[in-house]
Parts: sequence; structure tokens; C-alpha cells
Amino acid sequence: MSQYESDKKTGGWKDSNLYVSLSGFWHEYRKHKIGILGLAILGLYIGMAIGAPFLATHDPSPTAKVAPHFLAPQWMAFFDPQGVITNEYYPDPFLYEEPNFVTQGPNKDEFSYSHFVAEEAGERNYVNLTWTHNAEPMYWRTPYDIEGNLPDSLDFVYFTRNFTWPFNNIPSDVNMTLEYGVTLTGDFATQEAGGIMFRVYMWLIDSSGNWRRVYQSSAPYTPTLQDRRIDLNYFDVNEAFGGMVQDENGVQEDPDDTLTVAVGLAPTRYFRNYLNTHPEDFYTGSVTVQVTEVSLIAYGEYFGILGTTDKGADAWSQLVYGSRISLYIGILATALSTIVGVIVGLVAGYFGGRTDEILMRLVDFLLVIPGLPLMMVLAAFLGPSVENIIVVIAILGWTGTSRIVRSQVMAEKNKAYVESARAIGASDTYIILRHVLPNVTPILFANITLGVVGAILSESGLAFLGLTDPSQPSWGRMLADAQGTGGFYNGAWWVVVFPGLMITLLSLAFTFVGHTLDQVLNPRLRER
Amino acid sequence: MGLREYVIRRVIYMFLLVVAVVCFNFFLFRLPTLILGVSPVDLMISEELRRNLTRDALEQLYLRFGLVPEPDIFDWIYMFWRYIVNMFTGNFGISFVTQKPVIDEIMERLPNTLLLMGTSSIVAIIIGIWTGVRVAAEPGSRKDVGAVTLALFIYSLPIFWLGMMLLMIFAFYLPALTNGLISFPLFGTINYDNFALVTNNPLGGLIAAADILHHLFLPMITLGVGGYGGYFLYMRNNLIDVMTEDYILTARAKGLDENQVLYKHGLKNAMLPMVTIIAMTFGFIINGATLTETVFTWYGLGRYIFDSLIILDYPVVQAIFMIIAITAILANFIADLLYGVLDPRIKYG
Repeated sequence: MSQYESDKKTGGWKDSNLYVSLSGFWHEYRKHKIGILGLAILGLYIGMAIGAPFLATHDPSPTAKVAPHFLAPQWMAFFDPQGVITNEYYPDPFLYEEPNFVTQGPNKDEFSYSHFVAEEAGERNYVNLTWTHNAEPMYWRTPYDIEGNLPDSLDFVYFTRNFTWPFNNIPSDVNMTLEYGVTLTGDFATQEAGGIMFRVYMWLIDSSGNWRRVYQSSAPYTPTLQDRRIDLNYFDVNEAFGGMVQDENGVQEDPDDTLTVAVGLAPTRYFRNYLNTHPEDFYTGSVTVQVTEVSLIAYGEYFGILGTTDKGADAWSQLVYGSRISLYIGILATALSTIVGVIVGLVAGYFGGRTDEILMRLVDFLLVIPGLPLMMVLAAFLGPSVENIIVVIAILGWTGTSRIVRSQVMAEKNKAYVESARAIGASDTYIILRHVLPNVTPILFANITLGVVGAILSESGLAFLGLTDPSQPSWGRMLADAQGTGGFYNGAWWVVVFPGLMITLLSLAFTFVGHTLDQVLNPRLRER
Repeated sequence: MGLREYVIRRVIYMFLLVVAVVCFNFFLFRLPTLILGVSPVDLMISEELRRNLTRDALEQLYLRFGLVPEPDIFDWIYMFWRYIVNMFTGNFGISFVTQKPVIDEIMERLPNTLLLMGTSSIVAIIIGIWTGVRVAAEPGSRKDVGAVTLALFIYSLPIFWLGMMLLMIFAFYLPALTNGLISFPLFGTINYDNFALVTNNPLGGLIAAADILHHLFLPMITLGVGGYGGYFLYMRNNLIDVMTEDYILTARAKGLDENQVLYKHGLKNAMLPMVTIIAMTFGFIINGATLTETVFTWYGLGRYIFDSLIILDYPVVQAIFMIIAITAILANFIADLLYGVLDPRIKYG
């Protein structure tokens, strides 16, 4: 009972100055638990919208494929500890730390290396592998490695980084990336065959010391940095990861679960014999390989915080960025419809007569037009940009506001203080702005908050029907994708549950705040 | 001013409103033609076919859809006139897509929509009023706060998502968990696989009806829950308002017990505004529920509006708009009249 009685005693603070009324308002507001809860949730959402770039782990675009589709959230691996989590496993893809450098062979003095850490914005970290050759013989592997896992020369340079493979399983697929550029000088640059005298390699080395070559470069080379994306084949993956899987006796082939990635530069056999010449005897010059990125992504059944969508995009990043669209459209559409509704309501209520008649007939007209279908038609005709969606939602949203404002204005305008203001010659604009409007505003606050709920739900509905911008991450569109591609037929309940939960919680927060505002500010409505 | 005069005035006003809606529809659905110069016929025939057609044949083709190729201002006036005449004679034209009369297409789906919207509205209204009354008897109680919070939660729920969740739980996971013991259909209005069973069986009609009800259950629950929150809150707030009136005090002073006060004096008065709300609900009933019908692939008008809109089948959309507007206007009128009949305090004028 107390909640309802307290409202009636609080006429006082509304008439005093701003500070008193604000603190009085807050004093009254905080008595309502759901109001506080609503504000707290709202705060979280606003934080999420502002912090989206920091919270998102991947590209939020709904079409940015980062992994296979419908992967489960990572935390679901709790029930399946050996399930492979899709992730980047190379410990330092952008080479911030100095890797292990190795030069080997009797001529290892020909090779050098360096590591550079970016200091200014726009620079990138890189590792340089350099081979400087002065006409003299190299030392060759005899016979050559038939499988081609090892370079032809015994003299070469490489750098390594290792990581621990945490699962007792083979990943379903592995993608590696190597970004590098090659600078040539001397005979390597001028001779026609200079580009086939060396190769850039990438190997996976298991803890038993087996080298598996996963990449070798081929001519021509440019100093410009270029991405090489390498999709490891089944045999590569099996060879590199298979030794780390325990058999039923708990024994595994490799001594431990460490896997090493090596990137190297080595001469090829053509350097020894090319069209019956011996380039090693007359070449002078250098090869410099600048490596800026090495990455290894292993795919499994699990991915990221919330798994992947039907298009293989990261669901969490979309969810985080979706809060921006919902808040933006919800608030702006309501602001627009409130402005229109207040103006129409003030004008109609204050001037009455024919103006009132025309405006209210317009409202009647809009009320018999079916709401969602009209929004669909307008959204389809105007196009799916965010601004258009805001306008479409606002077009139908103002009628309720204008009716409320009008009835309040009609109640206020005949009161004595308005009469006296008019008597001393105040203009209509002055009376509306200074006397009528301030008395109408408390009514509006609850109305505005509840209007945001309507706008958010409308936006999600339009997005669900595919009438919003397809490149924008939004919760409604995530649900549409889940529905259209049979999200849960594939067992991917997470693409159905979480976006809807986000919409519900956000509109619930606004509903709670609006309900509380209604109780605090408009007790008159209930007393009638 | 008496009731007769009031009714006449309202009827004239209703007619004007219908005219306004009809005109609005004309311009709304010709916006692409007006702004972009694209006509629906362009989507039907290829550029090549258009060049091979004679002027006469092309005009005939356009005329079928009440259009004129490359219209000037007089053609627009002519088109508008034809449109107005057609709309008021109930000739809604033919669908661009199926080439069947629009009215047939609509009638095919109307029973499904009425079934879905009707049952769900009735369920929502009955439960809403019932719980609303129960709770309003003791405002501020734990029960009341809980029910209000639940209603606010429903108010904030995207209904189509609720549908997706129900579909996922009851049509996908439960059948798998219970080995098909509890199972609801994943999509559709009726199961066409049972066609032979239904046609060759003397009880075929019953089987078909049971099948439709089986399909109806989940979307009906979805829409019922979606509507419930509003009715509940409205009923509760009305009744709490009414219970502060003087005549309730009088009733209590007479020594009536609280139940009698609540149901005889309170409920009767609080139901009056509900009549308007209920009438308006049934006014928008053929509107369908586009989102829920889409989720459950229900063969109804709501989904039909959207599907037709996407493939630019304007005659269908404009006809449905027109019908919805007329029903809404009529429902509004009936609500006002009912209000007057039920509440003798209302004076017309």
C-alpha cells in the first residue's frame, strides 16, 4: 500500500526550484526498485554502445566471415574439454617480441637477421632475414630431401616461435598467413633467373623434430608487403597435430604438446646448377625478406564468446555493435516523434477550433492505417538507410503523444494563471512556451521512455523482415539470419537466444524506467 | 443532439475517412512510379518483349492492372478515376504475380488469419481481464507487483522472438528429448502429407481440423502472450481507478462484502473502457500478425502483405490496406455506439 500513498503526499517538490525538484524527484524515484534496475541495465547498454570498439573481438559486419558457420560459443567447450576452440594460436602474429633466430650450415656467416619494433603510429613490427652472397660455393644436402620438407641447401636462416596445443584433438582445419616482402640487390636483382635462386619457407615442427613444410615461395618477388594465405591440407594438419593426440592408452607419439612455427630463407638447388652454369660461383648480391605477420588459425567446433552466425561472422561483435543501432534508432525516432507530437498537440489544444479539428482528423486518419504494414511499405519504398528507418518509425509514433499533450493543454489553458498572463498582453508563443509547456512535460517523460520501447521493437521487427540496412549489425537482423537459415535446425540455439535477449533486456530497462517515471511524476493520472 | 443525428454525423465522417484512406493508398503505392518512373509491368515483361509488343497490346497489358504506359497528367487523372471506381465497387483487380483476382487470394488466407488472431485475442482478453481483476483487489501486494512486472516484461518482449523461442523449444528440442512424444510442427498451417489420409477417410474433416489446431497452438500462444500484457495492465489500472470513486465508498458503506463491491460495482464500471479496446482489437484483426506468421510460416494475411510487398504486388497490398482501414473505422464506430449503450451517462454531441 505504501508505494501508492507516498505518491499523493509529494505535490510539494514539483513547484520549487530546479535543484530541489531534482533531488526531490530522485528521492521519490529511488524508492522504486524496478526503476533503479532499469537505470542500471540502461547504463550497461550505453556502456556497451560506447565501448563497442573495445568489447568487440572481430569485425562486426554480418558478412565478415571469420570461421565456419554455426560454431558454438567457447564456454560451451566446458562440457567438452577436448573440443577444439577456433582461435589464433600463433603467440605473436604481429611480431612484437623477438623470435628465436637460427642460422645454420658451414656458410652461416652469409646470413643475418634483425628484429624491428614499431615506435611510431603507421609503422609495423618486422623481422628481416638477409642472405648476402659473395661468389663462393654453398654446402648442399646430398641427396636432396625428396619430400621437399627441408631446403636443398644445408646453409640457411630461419626464425621460430612455439606454442602449446591445448587439446587432445586434431583441428578440423588450419589456416596460416605469412605476410612478407622481398628486396633483392646485385645479381639477384639483375639476373633473369635471380628469383629462383632462393625460396622463403614456412614449416611446422613437432616436438619430435619432424619438419613439415607448409609453404614455399616462388618468383617473382616484390619489396611490397603481400599476404600469403595458406590453407593447410589434410596431410599437413595430420602430420603436424596428429602426434600430439593420445591413443587409448594415454600415450602420444610426440614427447610433448609443443608445436613450432618456423619461417626461413634458403638457397635452392638451381643456385648450384642452373642450365649447366653454377650461379653460386659468380652471383654477388643480397636477398632480404621482411616478414611482418605470421598467423596460425586452427578451426574446431567452438569459437569466440558467442560462437558464429550462419555466415561464419562473429556473433559477439555483432551483438555488441547491435546496441548502437538499437539505441540510436530508438532514441532518435522517439525524439523526432515527440517533437512532432508536442508541436501538434500544443497547437491543436491551445488554438482549438478549426486547427484542432484538422489536426485531430489527421491523427484519426493515421490511427486507422495499419501500423506495421505501413512501416513495411515505407521502409521498402524509401530504402533501408538508418535515417529512413528513423523517419518511418517516427511517422506513426507521434499520434499518441499529440493526443496526450492536447488534452493536457486543454485542461491547462483555461486556468487562471494563463488567463492573467494573456490579460497582461503575453503573446501566444510566450504563453505556450513559458506556462503551458512546462506543465505538460512531466506527463511526457513516461510517454517518451515508453515510446523508445516501441521504436526499438519496431526497428527489430523491420530488421527481422529484412527491411533495414543489411551491412549494419543489428539484433533484429541476427534473428532474421537465424530464422532464414534454420539456426536451431542446426542445433545453433545461441544465434536465436542472445539477440532476442538483448532486445528484451534493453526495452525492459526502458519500460521499467518509464513505468517508474509514470508513478513518480503522474500520480494525478491515477487519482483522476 | 440525439442518437440519430450523432449516428448520421459519424457515418458521414466515416465515409470521408474511407475516402481519405483510399486516396492515400493510391499515392502510397504509386510512389515508385511517381518518383522513379518504374511501373510493375516493367518487372513482368522483359525489355525485349516490350519492344516486340505492339502499342495496342502493351496498352491492353497495362490496362489489366489499371495502368497506362508513360502516363502524363491526364492519364494520372484517368488512372485515379478508374482506381476510385474500382475500389468503391469492390473490384480490387488481379494480382501481378498469380494473375488471380486479389479478392480470391485474400479470401483464401482470411480464415487462417481470423482463426489465429481470433483465438489468440480471446485467450489474451479473458486471461488479461481475469488476472487484472484478481490483482486490482489488492494493489501493492506482492502478487500485484509480480503480475505488473510480468506484464511489463511481456510489453518489452519482441513477440516474434518469443515465437522463435517457443518454436525452438517445443518443435525442435522437446521432440528430440521425448522421442517425439511431445511434438509440435515446425512450420505451416496444415500438414499436406496427410492429404491422402484426410481425403480417403470418413473422419477426414476431423483429422484435418485436429491437424490445423496442432499447427495453431504455438502461434496462438505466442500472440496470446503478446497481447496479454496490455489487457492486464489496462484492466488493472482501470479497476484501481474505479475503486477510488465515491460510489465504491457508498457501496462499502452499505456494508456490501468486498467481493460484491469488486465484481458488481467495480468491474462493471471498469469494463466500459475495455469495450473500446476490445472492439479496436477486433478491428485490426485481419491485419494479421506479419512477424509471428512469418516465424511460423502461417498461411495468413499478415505474411501475405509482406510477401506481396517484397515482390511489388501492389494490388494485393492496397486491397488489404483498404480492407483493414474500413474494418478499423467500423470497429471504432461500433465501439463508440456500444459505449453509449452500455454507459447511460454518455450524452451524444
